[in-house]
Amino acid sequence: MREPGDPELLVAVAAGDERAFRRLFRRYGPHAQALALRVTGAPFLAEEAVQEAFVAAWEGARTYDPSRGSVRSWLMGMVHNRAVDLVRREASQRRRADLVVVEPAEDPADRVVAALGARGEGERVRDALGALPPEQRRVIELMYFEGLSQSKVAERLSLPLGTVKSRTLLGMRRLREALAGMER
Amino acid sequence: MNDHARIEELLAARALGGLEPEEERALARERAAHGPACEECARLERAYAETAGLLALALEPVPVREGLEDEVVARALGRPAGPSPGPRVSRRSGLVRGLAALGTAAAFVAAGWFLRGLAAPGDGGGFTVVRFEGAAGGVLAVAFRPGEPGAYLLGADLPAPPEGKRYELWLIRDGRPRPGGCFAPVGGTVQMPVEGDIGAAELLAVTVEPAACPASPTAEPILTASLEAV
Repeated sequence: MREPGDPELLVAVAAGDERAFRRLFRRYGPHAQALALRVTGAPFLAEEAVQEAFVAAWEGARTYDPSRGSVRSWLMGMVHNRAVDLVRREASQRRRADLVVVEPAEDPADRVVAALGARGEGERVRDALGALPPEQRRVIELMYFEGLSQSKVAERLSLPLGTVKSRTLLGMRRLREALAGMER
Repeated sequence: MNDHARIEELLAARALGGLEPEEERALARERAAHGPACEECARLERAYAETAGLLALALEPVPVREGLEDEVVARALGRPAGPSPGPRVSRRSGLVRGLAALGTAAAFVAAGWFLRGLAAPGDGGGFTVVRFEGAAGGVLAVAFRPGEPGAYLLGADLPAPPEGKRYELWLIRDGRPRPGGCFAPVGGTVQMPVEGDIGAAELLAVTVEPAACPASPTAEPILTASLEAV
């Protein structure tokens, strides 16, 4: 039996279909958990972010606008936003290295890039990240996977804010080009 | 700088979660100036949101805790959760009352600790709470229902472990320790399901270990809790 696509699932979720919602959760829950855990570094905060995001997905399914992005990016965006909110609210002075669940690497970006996993999409994303100039990858990594604002990244790396902004934009443009066509 | 350069810069950063509140407001002003029908603005927003959303795939998926799916569904649908592997705690649960009896309520409140509320209301908790003793600072306790699987490690005002280290919980029976989970406080707070069967343990201990969390303790305990009287 063909697995329903994301748009099809979300239409069912919007209609109040619990089974479709569970299917969506099983499809993206592990990715959401990985992302939230990476950003927050704490399992209970990660679970909170995942819960909040999926509850928001249930409540917002009817108003989801496909012209603004795929279901996957919408969902992962909510997970990421909530994880960042939680970590910024709960632990403004904590040390990131103490809370990472996976073995910390010298460069957090290397840990992401070096992770071996399912081939296909994950590998393509890892390759694209790995192909970025290190200085661009670093700022993107700190922002997305560690929940830092551009100002905080500038502080962490002792760089002018303008430099961080330009590296962010250049890096994201490269990623956008490298990952073109992966939208669902 | 072209007409959308500033917007593109802000959208790319926002997709990564990198904007400060004043930059969010700046983006809102820029978008408002372009109008809700600006196709280029919409195209850029979608493109960067997609790109950022794909970054999540770079990570190895992490299996969700057993029972989390049921909890998420229950919370979304606004109904009580189904069976879950561990005790649930809430501000009004017997756990908090039990901890208050131990004189820890003020510490938890001061620490701004929040507890996810999934306990059946009015059940009195029925939890057994055992507090750790030691010189680590802060408060650490384990909460469980005797005879039932699952337990939670709960803490407040705990100091952060040294750089590159984490705390590790040990379940000890017949002098043999088994790993019960690794943790590090977030803002002094700990809330962690205990790995393994706490019912089989006579003693609990906490050591400071390397971040890789070894299978056997490498240091002397800094906190201990006896379960023999339970």
